[in-house]
Amino acid sequence: MKYAIIQKEGLSKWLEHLKSRARLYAPRKKENSFVFRPVRDISEVCLEYIPTILPPKKYYFPQKEKLLKFSVRPFKTAKAIDVFEEYILFGVHTCDIAGIQCMDVVFRDSPEDPNYLNRKDKMTIIGIECLNYCDKFANCASMGNHNPRGGYDLMLTDLGKSFIIHINSEKGEGLVTGLGYIREAKESEVSLLEQIREEKKKVFKEELGDALPVVYDAFDRGFNSKVWQNVGKRCVACGNCTAVCPTCYCFDVVDEMELSLNEGIRYRIWNYCQMDDFAKVAGGEDFRHGRDGRQKHRYYRKFKYSVDKYNRYFCTGCGRCTRTCMAQINLVDTVNALLNEGITYRTKRHKL
Amino acid sequence: MKKQAKPKLAFFDFTDCEGCQLQIVNMGNSLLELVKLVDIVNFREAMSEASDDYDIAFVEGSISTDNDVKRIKKIREKAKVVVAFGACASIGGVNGIKNLHSLELAKKRVYGEKSDKVNTIKVMPIQEVVKVDYVINGCPPYIPEIVSVIKCLLLGKAYTVPNYAVCVECKMNENVCRYEKDEECMGPVTRAGCNSWCVNNGNRCYGCRGLVDNPASDGQKDILLKYGLKLEDVLKHFTLYNASSGDKYEQSFA
Repeated sequence: MKYAIIQKEGLSKWLEHLKSRARLYAPRKKENSFVFRPVRDISEVCLEYIPTILPPKKYYFPQKEKLLKFSVRPFKTAKAIDVFEEYILFGVHTCDIAGIQCMDVVFRDSPEDPNYLNRKDKMTIIGIECLNYCDKFANCASMGNHNPRGGYDLMLTDLGKSFIIHINSEKGEGLVTGLGYIREAKESEVSLLEQIREEKKKVFKEELGDALPVVYDAFDRGFNSKVWQNVGKRCVACGNCTAVCPTCYCFDVVDEMELSLNEGIRYRIWNYCQMDDFAKVAGGEDFRHGRDGRQKHRYYRKFKYSVDKYNRYFCTGCGRCTRTCMAQINLVDTVNALLNEGITYRTKRHKL
Repeated sequence: MKKQAKPKLAFFDFTDCEGCQLQIVNMGNSLLELVKLVDIVNFREAMSEASDDYDIAFVEGSISTDNDVKRIKKIREKAKVVVAFGACASIGGVNGIKNLHSLELAKKRVYGEKSDKVNTIKVMPIQEVVKVDYVINGCPPYIPEIVSVIKCLLLGKAYTVPNYAVCVECKMNENVCRYEKDEECMGPVTRAGCNSWCVNNGNRCYGCRGLVDNPASDGQKDILLKYGLKLEDVLKHFTLYNASSGDKYEQSFA
């Protein structure tokens, strides 16, 4: 383990340095919300922020991404993007880093996704640890993502007048060494970090009603639960929850022709299980007809299917789906309602 | 090899403001590309020549008189392809407000004493009268979507208008939700395809593209409650463009 220290006064100098090394993306304010944007002016960078409208996912899995170029006559195809550029994601919350780890599992699974991997290879992640809740919607403590758990190159933690930087990769090390304003951390500073983590335990409490394995069990038997009818009744299928989720990775592939009607580009575009026609196939058959079934599917993709397939919960606890929901569907409440049904179920079975 | 003749394209307008045709003029470079592929033979707003020999009819405006019915049927007979162009042609549009009252009242309000000399019928999108091959929604239509539909048309492909809410595109554009700023917006129930054009530019969604196939009524009420909006206010926004498809929203909010 290796730690470095940067005084807060040195931060803007460091950001200028990072900006000169690669394309730099960081959170900044947009009206009353926050967004990741390319950094033009260092003063725009905002390190105290509630999760951005879209997660940084948009940089390694863009909303609309070119896959290949083609022409009809003569029939030819070619790579649409030749060069991927180096970039740094700065100030990423630990929940969003967990999101990147989830996407990594998916896109590295066979067959590997070349576009994703190309982008991922060029990415450097500099995280920032939250010492307090961003707002009431997060459930990061239950998901275990309120503390850094790897998946980054550098991690910043606020020590008051300075940041302690955890160096977690060679790439990260290269960005902090040889700079006059960043020095190695003293032992006392590392133990201060441990103290801060201890203090954090008082702030972050598990938001879900029970431990994750119990949540998994509740999902295992909750497929026909009334909870889903209730959620389905309130859902308006605006698709916001899936659009903002750091671990939703569904996409549609479309070919778009130029007006010449000879050349075109194949794109992949984000697509969501919450759309009315998502599971509709030729002949008009719809495998997930109602909003209840579609919402249920979303939750199962976070708390059950991903655990079965990748041994990983795909909820990062960022709280975006709850924050953005038009109809006030709350993830913690929904999971807890399912857990409560489980308790009734267990008590009933016990009586029998 | 003899070059195949270009298909002939004609524009027609019914009850409307002709603003959709203006979007064709606003197409810029795409228009220059387009005229390489089609011959525009009838375009009152942009040229003096007019021909009655055409293959593709872009029809703008809603049907609101008996004469309109006859005229659109004739256009349908002649054209190989009919495109409902813009909100009035595709969903009835602003003119549909007339349908909220009796025809008698509407006539009196507009024409006063001469109201008995005027022929008027309920406002209809053109597909209520004739078969339509392509629909381009919007007031006015979004130019990239016009181009997409034209490409599909020339390739003989179907164009599928999205059946999801404007919110989907709005989130992809990472706009701050209007509701988060205590401003209302028709995005959650309005059919996408415009790339949330209005919200991107600081406006709200007016619902000009019509409702998604299956708008959620119960959920909508929750939203109204959450943001402290009144049902009447929201209905007012709906009827601006969607009055002639009244059945659909009445069911939704009953």
